[in-house]
Amino acid sequence: MNHSVDWVQLTVVVVIFIGVTVMGFMASRWRAAASMDSLDEWGLGGRGFGTFITWFLLGGDLYTAYTFIAVPAAMYATGAVTGFFAVPYTIVVYPVIFVFMARLWSVSHRHGYVTPADFVRGRYGSRWLSLAVALTGILATMPYIALQLVGMQAVFETMGLGGDSLLAKDLPLLIAFAVLAAYTYSSGLRAPAMIAFVKDGLIYLVIGVAIIYLPHALGGWEAIFGAAEKKLTTPNPATGKPVGNFIPGMTGQSAYWTLALGSALALFMYPHSVTAVLSTKSRNVVRRNAAILPAYSLLLGLLALLGFMAIKANVSIIGLDGKANPQLAIPRLFDQEFPSWFAGIAFAAIAVGALVPAAIMSIAAANLFTRNIYKDFLKKDATPSQEAKVSKLASLLVKFGALVFVLGMDKTISLNLQLLGGIWILQTFPAIVVGLFTRWFHKWALMAGWAVAMVYGTVEAYNVVNPATKKHFGGSVTNIPFTDTQAYIGLIAFSLNLVIVIALTLVFRALKVAPGVDVTHPSDYTADQGDPGVKDLPELLDEDGTSLTRLNFARRGCAETL
Amino acid sequence: MSRLPAVKPAYWIAGVLLAATVLAPLIVSTYAKAEPRLWGFPFFYWYQLLWVVLSVFTVGIAYRLVIGEERKRRAAQGLGDPDKPAKGAEL
Repeated sequence: MNHSVDWVQLTVVVVIFIGVTVMGFMASRWRAAASMDSLDEWGLGGRGFGTFITWFLLGGDLYTAYTFIAVPAAMYATGAVTGFFAVPYTIVVYPVIFVFMARLWSVSHRHGYVTPADFVRGRYGSRWLSLAVALTGILATMPYIALQLVGMQAVFETMGLGGDSLLAKDLPLLIAFAVLAAYTYSSGLRAPAMIAFVKDGLIYLVIGVAIIYLPHALGGWEAIFGAAEKKLTTPNPATGKPVGNFIPGMTGQSAYWTLALGSALALFMYPHSVTAVLSTKSRNVVRRNAAILPAYSLLLGLLALLGFMAIKANVSIIGLDGKANPQLAIPRLFDQEFPSWFAGIAFAAIAVGALVPAAIMSIAAANLFTRNIYKDFLKKDATPSQEAKVSKLASLLVKFGALVFVLGMDKTISLNLQLLGGIWILQTFPAIVVGLFTRWFHKWALMAGWAVAMVYGTVEAYNVVNPATKKHFGGSVTNIPFTDTQAYIGLIAFSLNLVIVIALTLVFRALKVAPGVDVTHPSDYTADQGDPGVKDLPELLDEDGTSLTRLNFARRGCAETL
Repeated sequence: MSRLPAVKPAYWIAGVLLAATVLAPLIVSTYAKAEPRLWGFPFFYWYQLLWVVLSVFTVGIAYRLVIGEERKRRAAQGLGDPDKPAKGAEL
């Protein structure tokens, strides 16, 4: 195998990367407001994105570089159940968000909420429940950022970057990250929104070419599916069972649909998804996008099939450290089958694809820290400009933490935490989504359900042992208690969560435990741009911070601020 | 707030379309098979990709229906149409 640096690929990647960097810094002047000194500006891009920008932003945000590496890698390694479930998952997610996301938009815009935890606080009048939601969001997001770096690493490694010295190996990643941190700090959400255009354009180009050209080069779809079926149904020598699923059998089917449903419910609980939704201009932008975002799902489905092409093409997945790493399947496939310059474009697409979500995730995590930890617990009278300052610093910290994670620890830890992150974030669903429709759930019941489900999900995930390697966190599927049916741990924990919340709500209500103050009004949930109390912020901003503060008073209603 | 009338047919149809889009891909037993193939794709694979395309239409139609009703409701409540002035400013 060739270990030397491929200069053509590297040049293409570097040129595209520099272009993107320039865009990232220029983005601060794009649709600029008078002042960037508030979370509405820095953290939500001025809350003014229309359908078109949002399509790119959400697409760039949800379909991450890691997804583009991991889904085909899973297809390559174990087939349909762990990989192709991403297709039903991304079909199901849009009708689901269609139903509730517009309500979250409306209530957030009337009350100036920046994070999902802000809403929980306003709805249930409990900063502790809000803290639980915020911590879950931060915990789930950090490993997700780390995995974006893992995706980048796979690309750099394939280009031949990396060597024996620690510095040479990690330097490209350090540079990429320093640049990312710098323009996120200065431009906020506008930077990833702008870069998303490049990222998505490149990805569509690369997948389009791959899906037409590669089957030709590899002997047609029939041969590709044939090779995949042969590999995945061959028994694993260590366990005697097939290495994967080509088409899920009876036992695989319950795992397949629970993974799809659980992941779909979890996706828009992630803070970075909510950040992108709240940055939109009107209530309907997100619903309109629910109808057009499936274009990305089609892309993802085709991309998943690249994993099967990698099987047919017999790519080597042995990393520079000599260990087999399925994450290398796709970069290696491009490297092997495409001319150098086009492989370079493909790698640039993946690398840039890592920057967009990493930026949004760090902004989202930083907003959670600022609003629901710093402002609620540490400095209650923080001004919008202080909030923006804290958030900017926190975004640096979050990225630095992710970097330390990737460089300092074994890659499998990030993977395990990411798996756990999905299970954890799903447990905030009852408080957020059910809360958008009814105040019936009691805040302490929600807290208890969340706590039990978090512990249960973590323990169950730990107990999944990979039959071949005997390691813990071997997967996200386990038997439903007292049955032989396999299901996604996150969804089992979620069911447990709901049962506890309902039971304890009945108890607390019978005992007349104080339910907390709800500052929202039913009409808040259907309000739209232009309605009374729903402000289009950028036009109202003044240069000096004082009028900005006064505006926020008016917007949130004095009850919350005072 | 004024009392809203019983659920309108538009909401019913939208609800059914959305529910079908959620349920169809989750009932795996209906498509976990290799035949019939299409362009070399086993049924399992092309059927799900087909649903991605179908979901564009089901969610799109649901959107049209729901928006139509919301416009009527907003007009009845004397609120403006937020999409009208924004048309030119989009992008």
